[in-house]
Amino acid sequence: MTAAGATGPAVLAAHGVSFAYGADPAVTAVDLTVTPGEFVALVGPNGSGKSTLLRLLLGLLTPDAGTVELLGHPPRALRERWRVGYVPQRRILDLDVPATVTEVVASGRTARRGWWKPPRPADRAAVEHALDAVAIADLRRRPVGALSGGQQQRVLIARALVAEPTVLVLDEPIAGVDRESQRLFRDSLVHLVEHHDTAVLLVSHELGAVADDLDRVVVLQRRVRFDGPPSELAATGVHLGVHADDLPRWLEDLQA
Amino acid sequence: MSGGLAGIAGLAVLPLPWPFEREYMQLALAAGLVIGICAPLIGTFLVQQRLSLMGDGIGHLALAGIAAGLLLEVWPVWSAMVVAAVGALSIEWLRSRRRATSDLALALWFYGGIAGGVVLASRSTGGSGAILPYLFGSILTVDRSEVLLVVLLGLGIVVAVAAFGRTLFAIVIDEESARVAGLPVGAGNALLAVLTAVTVVAAMQVVGVLLVAALMVLPVATSRNLARSFRGTLAGAAGIGAFAVVAGLAAARQWALAPGGSIVLVAAGTFAVVGVVGGRTGTRRTVLVEAPAPGTAPVTGRDPHEDHDHDHPGSGSG
Ligand SMILES: Nc1ncnc2c1ncn2[C@@H]1O[C@H](COP(=O)(O)OP(=O)(O)OP(=O)(O)O)[C@@H](O)[C@H]1O
Ligand SMILES: [Mg+2]
Repeated sequence: MTAAGATGPAVLAAHGVSFAYGADPAVTAVDLTVTPGEFVALVGPNGSGKSTLLRLLLGLLTPDAGTVELLGHPPRALRERWRVGYVPQRRILDLDVPATVTEVVASGRTARRGWWKPPRPADRAAVEHALDAVAIADLRRRPVGALSGGQQQRVLIARALVAEPTVLVLDEPIAGVDRESQRLFRDSLVHLVEHHDTAVLLVSHELGAVADDLDRVVVLQRRVRFDGPPSELAATGVHLGVHADDLPRWLEDLQA
Repeated sequence: MSGGLAGIAGLAVLPLPWPFEREYMQLALAAGLVIGICAPLIGTFLVQQRLSLMGDGIGHLALAGIAAGLLLEVWPVWSAMVVAAVGALSIEWLRSRRRATSDLALALWFYGGIAGGVVLASRSTGGSGAILPYLFGSILTVDRSEVLLVVLLGLGIVVAVAAFGRTLFAIVIDEESARVAGLPVGAGNALLAVLTAVTVVAAMQVVGVLLVAALMVLPVATSRNLARSFRGTLAGAAGIGAFAVVAGLAAARQWALAPGGSIVLVAAGTFAVVGVVGGRTGTRRTVLVEAPAPGTAPVTGRDPHEDHDHDHPGSGSG
């Protein structure tokens, strides 16, 4: 969105990163940079290594080869970790917790405040703001275990937003979220990118809602198959609509 | 608790009604309340971390620590504390390194601990019988110094939960995100492990190692079925634990029953009653769902990849 995104130091960077869980490589020789205020989507079929790449970028996994930088530092050396917001893939997170929406969202603020400190008014205001950003203020007192999948997803997004991060990494955040909420979600992402210079790296199978706002699309299938503006990808016949069914076919053609 | 403190300070026996009019019952009440409140507080975090049987594993290790203390002729509480803390940290280490699943790591200490305890005790002067009081506890014969120790350990647990509870909460609900955010996940888990060990050792003389784990789990299971918030779950679990101690001691006095067992039976009975009244069986969460707030958008498109083995009781309806 912002052309200025092309300059400045990278907030996320992978240089020649490879990783294998066992014998089979999950990602191979990946180069990827995201600069401040940039809005980047990472797409690819199931099992193409998207979540693995995010986990490498966040320092949750250590690459077998290559290097990763988070806000200009090796992940382990970064001090202000709260500046990185993360929304994990919900289906691998069990939200059967006896906790209210407010409690879960507020937990996203603990690291920024300092984990030994009690919440202050500014923290409570940030929670209210985050609840509003994904329109779950009505649900604030509900136990998260009693929410629908899409509502739980919005709780996780709010938990990442509440720390007001510099870079936001989201793994399929809008899976199972209805259209109206997707629109709200898009608006809050665009607001963050435009007004707070937040960089966003979004993994999603449903890019329809944000396709017009993206600066870049990265297509991953173990390797980076494409990295450029969405219009260029569209020119090859790939559309970023719901589930982007044409993407796997296009990738097959590439390999043939 | 204040009754016990007054007793420790050498003040007169408090004018409490039956069954707590006697001094030994007041001491039992003080020690019991501390454990009845602290064990569920720690247990709430352990249950969320799928380490419900942690207390049990640590309890068996503490037993080996007792036996080692008897053999080496050091104060058994110290040796139990050291062994339990080291064991708890090693379970946490195995779990975090994924060297063993948590239930395998627990099983290792569970059986290793009790076997070690029996073998060590057989070498000590008292023979294996010397560890029996710690198996079942002896709450009706605790003396003032023992109560004082329990109260001090209990205060430490309450202070730690008050100070670090928010961080522990963030860790137990989503360890990976807590790590990304830069929370001290390793230190938090280690703290939880050590607090578990402290609770077990404090409870050893009160309800015994065989039953302390029950007080870490049963009130929590009951409270999870009733509370809507995590704070409420903590408070409810502590309240139910305290109730079990009072009712269990009263029952023990009235019918001359084993006090530790009575306390745990009350806790188990409470869980059963809440489960039946809640109209559900098993461990599934019973959620009191309020009517959906107006303006709440219904979910239309669900993630097609989503697994369907969790259902969300009351989602969107109710
Ligand atoms: N913990 C793990 N252990 C072993 N193999 C794994 C693990 N996680 C992922 N893999 C494998 O690594 C490859 C990439 O998985 P990854 O989860 O990164 O894909 P993805 O692009 O995120 O897929 P999806 O769209 O389904 O989320 C897959 O072949 C997967 O089977
Ligand atoms: Mg994935």
